[in-house]
Amino acid sequence: MHGRVKLKSTAQQEEEKRKEREKKLKIYLTSRDACFTKRKEGVLDEEVLLLTQQLLSSNPDFATLWNYRREILLHLETVRSEDEIQRLYEEELSFLEACLKVNPKSYGSWHHRGWVSTRLPRPDWARELSLCERCLSLDDRNFHCWDYRRMVVRVSGVPVDQELQFTDRLIGSNFSNYSSWHYRSTLLPLLHPGSPEAASPQREPPTSSACSSPSTSPQTHSHRVCEEQLLKEYELVQNAFFTDPNDQSAWFYYRWLLGRAEREEMISCVYVSREGERVVVAFSRPVNALSVGLLLVVDGQPQQVNWRSAHPRLRHSPMWICDLPPGTISDTSNEHNLTVHWTERHTHRDCALYTGRSESWCRDSATDLELFRSELSVEKSSVLQSELQSCTQLLELEPQNKWCLLTIILLMRALDPLGYEKETLAYFQTLKEVDSMRTSYYSDLCSKFMIENTILKMEYAEVRVFSLCEKNLSTLCHLDQLLLVTHINLSSNQLLGLPPQFAMLQCLEVLQADDNAIENLEGVYHLSKLEEVSLRNNNITQLSDLKILTTCPRLARLDLRGNPITQIANIQSQLAELLPSITELLL
Amino acid sequence: MAEDESSLAEFEQVDFLKDRHVRFFQRCLQVLPERYSSLETSRLTIVFFALSGLDVLNALDVVDKPSLIEWIYSLQVLPTEDQSNLGRCGFRGSSHLGVPYNPSKGPGFPHPYDSGHVAMTYTGLACLIILGDDLGRVNKEACLAGLKALQLEDGSFYAVPEGSENDMRFVYCAACICYMLSDWSGMDIQRAVQYIRNSMSYDNGIGQGAGLESHGGSTFCAIATLCLMGKLQETLSERELNRIRRWCILRQQSGFHGRPNKPVDTCYSFWVGATLQLLDVFQYSNFEKNRNYILSTQDRLVGGFAKWPDSHPDALHAYFGICGLSLIGEPGLRRVHPALNVSERAFEHLQQLHRTWREACT
Repeated sequence: MHGRVKLKSTAQQEEEKRKEREKKLKIYLTSRDACFTKRKEGVLDEEVLLLTQQLLSSNPDFATLWNYRREILLHLETVRSEDEIQRLYEEELSFLEACLKVNPKSYGSWHHRGWVSTRLPRPDWARELSLCERCLSLDDRNFHCWDYRRMVVRVSGVPVDQELQFTDRLIGSNFSNYSSWHYRSTLLPLLHPGSPEAASPQREPPTSSACSSPSTSPQTHSHRVCEEQLLKEYELVQNAFFTDPNDQSAWFYYRWLLGRAEREEMISCVYVSREGERVVVAFSRPVNALSVGLLLVVDGQPQQVNWRSAHPRLRHSPMWICDLPPGTISDTSNEHNLTVHWTERHTHRDCALYTGRSESWCRDSATDLELFRSELSVEKSSVLQSELQSCTQLLELEPQNKWCLLTIILLMRALDPLGYEKETLAYFQTLKEVDSMRTSYYSDLCSKFMIENTILKMEYAEVRVFSLCEKNLSTLCHLDQLLLVTHINLSSNQLLGLPPQFAMLQCLEVLQADDNAIENLEGVYHLSKLEEVSLRNNNITQLSDLKILTTCPRLARLDLRGNPITQIANIQSQLAELLPSITELLL
Repeated sequence: MAEDESSLAEFEQVDFLKDRHVRFFQRCLQVLPERYSSLETSRLTIVFFALSGLDVLNALDVVDKPSLIEWIYSLQVLPTEDQSNLGRCGFRGSSHLGVPYNPSKGPGFPHPYDSGHVAMTYTGLACLIILGDDLGRVNKEACLAGLKALQLEDGSFYAVPEGSENDMRFVYCAACICYMLSDWSGMDIQRAVQYIRNSMSYDNGIGQGAGLESHGGSTFCAIATLCLMGKLQETLSERELNRIRRWCILRQQSGFHGRPNKPVDTCYSFWVGATLQLLDVFQYSNFEKNRNYILSTQDRLVGGFAKWPDSHPDALHAYFGICGLSLIGEPGLRRVHPALNVSERAFEHLQQLHRTWREACT
């Protein structure tokens, strides 16, 4: 089933083919039966090798037969001399070459070859590498061959810098050799580690399992590359995308070079409400507080508290809440020192609640954390600036190139998201025209960036009011950054609902979300300070849609004008019964 | 008149020939041409493509369900009287080994080289579910013991206990088996999750294993596995998920390809499409171009789909072509569960079965 193209043939050709097939079938069946009889009888000799050979030539994916062959060969190892064994395995390799010519993508054949290579008394790794080279020259994307080659390199101890030169050669002769760039990405960190903890090349002894692979990956471990080498790589990859800007291989590699850093894991904010006698803890990534060793200490005393996530549907959440025993911090004439310990990560955060203050918090702002910038790991902005210049130059020559546009947007967000906001929006417009197949994806991406910018602006202004009107939003994100927000305006967008994550807006007092298509309010959950909700011209259709608001005891003003629910008879009295705390209801 | 004819021709070009595909799958269940012989040992997977395909086409009534169920049960590798082969149980791909016929009534026949294959166990169970069976004759303990024996230290799985290649495909098969049997004791979840994380590549796709090239098929296997385990959000940060979303979305060229700089291929409309669906961003792909490509590989004469236009159709591409169309909401097709890769109807039957099992325990 590997892409057989339709060919037309004459009646005579058809007849000849049919006769040949019948002959093959007869041989196949006889061989197969003989084979299994012998195996049942426990026969492990060279005659059977011949039999299985015939079968495997026509059907290399018959895994049982490869296993049988391995049994035979293992048995013969115990009764033959080393020279005979060498000969046996060399013949095996020749047989495998023939199989691979017929089907270069057979898992069974490659796996068996890997096994044979490690059993040979005197392996010829040069021969194996040359086989790979020939195979790759026919199909440079054959991952079976690449994977086999990687194994050969590892087992035979080919030095990493030699392999790096190999990729230099391949890339030099053909920049769009995606597999070469991929291979390079695994080699580079081994050779030029950026930090002492990076893996160093290991020479592994040959094992009987030919399929063991390195246990690390360039994504999950901080396989940084030292600065000097990084700059050389930038040059190499720039040559590639300047030569052929439309080939994505180099762009992906470039993106990888620019940014692999993961943010430090930490407690990003601790918020205390004296009145609510509640502590809210925000983390840099979602956690399950019940299993990460979260400890609250108030004035030196560890507290027995139950942690709950902002919403029951969020079992894995960046935000966790606990209620303090009544009276612990309620007296405003007292000052309290709170510390939250994340014992699993050996980190903590303090928060002081001063006398006369009803709330307090301690946080790293999104600005401080360079939250939305840390996509890229290169610290030196001068380097990023020069990269931005190169890409902008290329864009002048290739104004329709989507990879270039994407990279420029990335670099701009890394350097100065607010400063480059206008340009970024303009580039997104171009991107949507140039790569129209992904227009809606780019729109979504653009809205995310605009939300990020709005968060940054809010922080610079040091206010707790968040406004996202008329931003064409169909979804919300980064809600975990809005813990301190008291007023939010989401009017004139295309929202369908307020998801569970919305419950992280623990300080919210006023919610405006007019002129959307909201029918689902499940995130408006236990917002204890929420007083006013405006949902004009949305899609609230029935009383049950509003049941969730009963979890917000302070809710006094509710505007539902322009929603289908207003057409229900008696709705006013039904709402009064459901939400008795409301004093001002607009229908 | 000429105009009408040409616009009629245009309409024919893009319409979905449901009846042809039903007949295509029916033929797959009867006889296969010689060029399929290399798949003899994986016969059960072909049956899965045909049955699940007919299910999605809403045409399972053309199938003789009882006899198919018997045949599938005859492929179960059961524990022998002395239970010495528990680590080799599961389902085999076909009767090619010559073990005597036994539709799972009575103990297994001892044969030194008979063992289950992880992909056959997966498709065997899926086929039974699709056919409405209650898995009453499945020896769950034996299947799970057989599965456990296949897992390696690095978290990946062999296909057979004697050993084979090990990669993400078999991790997915293992996850499906545990999910269907509602019992995750058949695998070490932590290790499997670690294997998945270790297989993430520099370009944010996921390969078959650590250090290996990102591939649409293995990315699907990894993401679907995490979804079946209920551990997607726990294992991958939002940032990582966004990167994977980006890698996947960039696979669309008209239809989808499986790796950068490779030609598009019908089956990736499912592999990548379902991944995008599981990551909540499938709606950002271009449905029209996707549909047009899939239908360009439709064989208008014999039915089925091929990987490329003007190529012979085969069971795999026929099935995934139809699933790809189902994802974009093609009328007349059942919806497909993007992680378990069966129709929503079959999935609901499975859920009902699970409820019955839970109730029986209390």
